[in-house]
Amino acid sequence: MSAAADTLAPAALAFPSRAWFERLAALMNANRTRQEQLGYVDCIAQFTVLDGAPNGGPLAYRVSFEEFEALGVEEVATRELGSADFALEGSLAIWREMIESIAAGRGRPDLEHSLNRLSHMGTPLKLVYESPIRMDCYFRFNQSLQEFVNASAQFTTTFGR
Amino acid sequence: MNEPTRPDQLKPLPHAQEYLMNEEQLARYEGMFRKDYQTWAQILGENVERIKRGSYSLHWTKTEGGHWGKRAKPSSRGLTYTDINRIRGYGELPERADWFNFAPRGSIREPYRDRMPIVDAYTVLERDELWAENVISLYEEAKARQWNATKDIAWDELEALPEDLEKATCQLCTFLTEVEFVAGDFPAKWLCRTPQDFLEVKSFLTTQLMDEARHQEVFRKRAIAGGGLLHASPGFEWALKAILDAPTHTMGTFLLNLLGEGLVLSVFRSGEMIAKTQVDKEIFRRCLQDEARHVSYGVLELKNYLGTHKNREAATEEMHRFADVGEQVILTAFTEAALVEPVAVLLGGGLKHIDKGMEGLAHMWRMFIDEYLQRCQAAGFDRSARCTIPRELPWGVAA
Repeated sequence: MSAAADTLAPAALAFPSRAWFERLAALMNANRTRQEQLGYVDCIAQFTVLDGAPNGGPLAYRVSFEEFEALGVEEVATRELGSADFALEGSLAIWREMIESIAAGRGRPDLEHSLNRLSHMGTPLKLVYESPIRMDCYFRFNQSLQEFVNASAQFTTTFGR
Repeated sequence: MNEPTRPDQLKPLPHAQEYLMNEEQLARYEGMFRKDYQTWAQILGENVERIKRGSYSLHWTKTEGGHWGKRAKPSSRGLTYTDINRIRGYGELPERADWFNFAPRGSIREPYRDRMPIVDAYTVLERDELWAENVISLYEEAKARQWNATKDIAWDELEALPEDLEKATCQLCTFLTEVEFVAGDFPAKWLCRTPQDFLEVKSFLTTQLMDEARHQEVFRKRAIAGGGLLHASPGFEWALKAILDAPTHTMGTFLLNLLGEGLVLSVFRSGEMIAKTQVDKEIFRRCLQDEARHVSYGVLELKNYLGTHKNREAATEEMHRFADVGEQVILTAFTEAALVEPVAVLLGGGLKHIDKGMEGLAHMWRMFIDEYLQRCQAAGFDRSARCTIPRELPWGVAA
């Protein structure tokens, strides 16, 4: 099996983990036709699980998007934004709820679990940013980011806790 | 069967007078070109002469005074304005435009200047009344992220809602249908006042026009597919007029892109949040992406304007004076019952729960105003002490 195909193999992956986000990235990159329909995505988005680390602390994943691809995933044990344009942060429980909703909807969350639905009021997901100009990337690429996480329905996610 | 009528048998139509309604305008147009007859008729005469002689000019093969020979190379995305602007002679925008016709920036045009017409409509001559550092990337992004309201929305999946929610959705869509195209008319008004040397800005404004046409289209379709359009509102109209009548491009762009579209972006995000069908969710999600580009241009255009102004203090004070009025007029729209109440009904989950919805709206209101003030701050325009929109929605204060 080639490395690329191996990346897309439907094995279960734990959330949160770098491998989980890398699978989403691989799925996005394997579906370039869809990305070309949606248009460029140029931002670094951070997904923060506030209690995702084994010690109950934060664990965050910075996904770099450029043009039609997800170029890389960085795992950091912090809530800090670093190079990210914005972060979506929430508890493991809410991320789990969202992922399970996407799986139940076969790639589409129910009305209560889209990224914007969860983050718009600042809870249960919170949109974190330093610059409103960079924060606007979350809105400018919202459909692409939604479809990025929607791809989690294509494999099984396990939750450690 | 009757014989077909021959052209020479045609009789004047009964209301021939109606067809003379453009007589005055046509006469003025003819007069205008007669006035410049010496110039263009001479060009025409020379062209005819040359063609009659069977002779070629081939002056266009000469490259002196031009930038011939350096080929632009595409980047990973293809050939962008940024790529071609790297070639010397093509990417320099004048601080003040002095070409008032369509001669392309970077072309060999100087020898012909005296024989070219002046387009009187070009009145926005200062680059810093238009420019934003992100305008080229936003243009590329806008082209790449276009979508089609006819086929990219799964209209056949649209579910019927209970009447109170359907009416609230359709009223919200009526509001959006009413307001969206001012964001098309405003850039259109300034587009044709902008000289060709600012082609990057003109290109971006054109995408905004297309975006707004699509938004007007998608909300009109959503309303009519769900029951129908409901109420227009005077408060919306005054806000739209204030945008359209803004005295300068930067002032209008502040009012439209930064404040107005910033608030509409919040409405779209709220619309996605409170949508009762997947179809509605996708409509709002698609629209908020477009709207965020316009907001982004508005913020950086104002930042560039104030940041480059020779008399920044006076320019800032002038903008404040404009914003003092603009905010109040926009507030007139955003307090209309035809907007606030349907949002509250959707937020609450039905007409019975409108009070609960108003509580949610009060929370969102604070967020809207905070984001507006943050955007002003990012543009170097601190409105925090002077903002005339209340940070708290004054709901039930008098009760």
